[in-house]
Amino acid sequence: MKIKPLHALLTLALLVLPFLFKDNRFLGFILGITYLNIFWATGMNILYGFVGLMPLMFAAISGIAAYALLYFIAEWHINFWFALPVATLFASFIGVLLGLPSLRLKGFYFTLCSLIIQSTLTLAFIFFPKFTNGDTGINQISPPLWFGEPIKGYAFECMLALMAVVGIGVSYFVYQSNLGQRFVAIREDDVLAESLGINVVINRVVAFFIVSLYAALGGCFYATYIGFISPRSFDVLSSLNIWLFVAFGGKATIAGPVIGSILLAPLPFLLQSLEAYKDILSGVLIVLITLLMPGGIYGTYLAWRNANK
Amino acid sequence: MNQPGAIPLLSVKDLTLRFGGLYALNKINFEMHANESLGMIGPNGSGKSSFVNVLTGHFKPFSGEMQFAGQSMLGKSAHQLVGLGLCRTYQAVRVFGNLSVQRNIDTARLFFAEEGITEHQYAQYLDWLKLTPVLGKTAKDITLFEQRKLELMMRLVLKPKLIMLDEPVGGLATSEVSEMIQLLHELKAYSSVFVIEHTMRVIKELADRVVVLIAGEKIADGPPSQILSNQRVIKEYLGSAHA
Amino acid sequence: MDSFLLLLASTVSTGLLLGAVFALVAAGVTIVYGCIWLPNASNGQFFLLSALVAWGLTSSYGLNSFTACLLVLIASVGLSLLFEKLLFRRLYNVPDRNISYFVITLGLTQIMSGIFSMTFAKWSDQFSLPPLVSGVTMIGPFPMTNNRILVLGIAYLSIALLFILLRYHPLGRALRAVFQNREAALLRGVDVHSIYKISFVLGSSIIYLGGLLYALAYSFDLTIAWTMSITAFAIMIVGGPGSVLGALVIGLVFGFTQAIVSNFTSPTVATFSYLIAMLLILLVKPNGLFLK
Repeated sequence: MKIKPLHALLTLALLVLPFLFKDNRFLGFILGITYLNIFWATGMNILYGFVGLMPLMFAAISGIAAYALLYFIAEWHINFWFALPVATLFASFIGVLLGLPSLRLKGFYFTLCSLIIQSTLTLAFIFFPKFTNGDTGINQISPPLWFGEPIKGYAFECMLALMAVVGIGVSYFVYQSNLGQRFVAIREDDVLAESLGINVVINRVVAFFIVSLYAALGGCFYATYIGFISPRSFDVLSSLNIWLFVAFGGKATIAGPVIGSILLAPLPFLLQSLEAYKDILSGVLIVLITLLMPGGIYGTYLAWRNANK
Repeated sequence: MNQPGAIPLLSVKDLTLRFGGLYALNKINFEMHANESLGMIGPNGSGKSSFVNVLTGHFKPFSGEMQFAGQSMLGKSAHQLVGLGLCRTYQAVRVFGNLSVQRNIDTARLFFAEEGITEHQYAQYLDWLKLTPVLGKTAKDITLFEQRKLELMMRLVLKPKLIMLDEPVGGLATSEVSEMIQLLHELKAYSSVFVIEHTMRVIKELADRVVVLIAGEKIADGPPSQILSNQRVIKEYLGSAHA
Repeated sequence: MDSFLLLLASTVSTGLLLGAVFALVAAGVTIVYGCIWLPNASNGQFFLLSALVAWGLTSSYGLNSFTACLLVLIASVGLSLLFEKLLFRRLYNVPDRNISYFVITLGLTQIMSGIFSMTFAKWSDQFSLPPLVSGVTMIGPFPMTNNRILVLGIAYLSIALLFILLRYHPLGRALRAVFQNREAALLRGVDVHSIYKISFVLGSSIIYLGGLLYALAYSFDLTIAWTMSITAFAIMIVGGPGSVLGALVIGLVFGFTQAIVSNFTSPTVATFSYLIAMLLILLVKPNGLFLK
């Protein structure tokens, strides 16, 4: 695996930033949210960019993990670090189980199924308050403890930075590997891939599982970082939002989701006066990206660079 | 010649395919041995494409049996059949257009983790197909003939026992057709070949035996010379088509 | 006994009305999908838009319902043409356009719902249109408002007209030809892009009409948009994407289902069951019930 100096520099920058914002809690929080979204967008890109399927149930899987985490901590009295892998795996398996039947379907039908599953799960989150406290949500979620001390403030942001970097690293590893090559083949022409001996369905399931891990892990950290979750945190708009980060930045590239998250994730917080317009603006972006810039920012840049070589 | 009792490479018994009330294939029977080249011919709409699709796991047959080297092919999906040694190419050329030629070949090589072809064989194939100069190009930017050769390369790295070629000269210029026929002759050294075509010219030069399919039924089976003089074949097919 | 019969009558009339509205909207969605390959996720927002604008015209400008509805329908043709030109025309020749269209219309849903939240939501919680006509007629022992009778009449007349148009009129035949086999239609000299444009306007107009009819019969709020979108998609999928007959029949079935369910529990349960029905069909028989 070749590590270019530019990549090393950027990775270092990502890891160092939390220290710079140590005392500015407002900017520090935005940084933390951005890291979380970088992690999520990188994950979704594996299915959307590499394999070519658009998983709109992404946020629902995060939700399952978050609610499961809190349930395990409250009911089984285990600490965060034990509950984390259990909740993550639990949510990922449920994700694969729900997504499995639809992985045979193509393009639009897969997306539609995904959307239905997402909507159904959101309704389930609202109407089964026994586990989720319904629409009121769960607040006062305590942060994880590290040797007895709660991880708060810039320490949490450091942890999120590490998570984002690891997430990017794993995605890069997949991209370079035989698995990643198979994903791309499936995206480009799944019938041809199948006739070359590639088991399309199994590979899609593997990709889906990996992506679910990202969604679930992110969901657990989201809950403990923000301190509050509700069914609205994990609804269709959330899934679409992460999709937008990937599509805007540039799908099927490693840098794309990172760029998209860095550019778009902070906006709702920095432009709080425009809060009411948030949905409209992101809707406009969705339309514009799909119509005009399907490759996203980074994708368009790469195409321009190749054309002018 | 075959040893008596040798297992046929491909064996099809009473193969039937139905779409609603229509029989796309009606009780097709034949065998193919490893050391012969088989051809299949028939007019458009005779069921040739359906036949290839059933044999390569894309359609489920209504009834009948098909075996590859003694193993049943029923219920096996396309990628599993590659594991048995059966590959196919498509009527309309099909490669990963947005990827480089090298990447196309690498993708095909993913199938064998360890026991793939040797580096020596790999270089030999590349050289024989004259693909080395275009390795770096994007697959959609090379000529149709080069794409057809790329298709062959991608099948060869799968170590096939049998390659089913669906109209392999479709879209090629006359001079390229001759070159391709020569290549397909040489291909026989590496794998058994089953060519499906709708003109006799290619089949005549490549096949030891020809199966004639009309309206989903096999109406003749024999060496090209025998087929060309078969009254029924001439009446129902060759009379109208250009041979 | 008496109150049971009244309940039955009101359920039947609700079922007929909802059924017709669902059928029309689903038919609109399925025509546009079958012909252009455009799954319109924002159909519920269109549905709501016509209802809201008509409300605005009747409540702020004092127009009577009939005039308001007519104006909305006429204006909607212009809006449909605008959307077609700006958003959808670009992708007509792209092979995988259905998923891009789906995403675009999801974005459009967000835009429209956001606009509605910032405008109409600030002006009222509940909306409705004044009745077209006043008075009550007795159907046997059951009273029914003349308004509702008229709305039912218009709804079923529209369905009949739509059916006749698609089956017997040359335009309808062209639409069906393009849906069944695009390449063959091209070879026969059909101007496919014009057909796309016409089918989009036709399909959208039926959706707008559905919204107006609903608003004439019931009061509504903004949540009806996403409920309608889910319902319409579910009907389209269960009936078979592109099958207008399927949309009409399943639309009626779902309408009656909703009418019956509403007597016992919240309509959200009905919506939930549509989601499940849609999922099951997608997984088991993706071509729906009415397509071969």
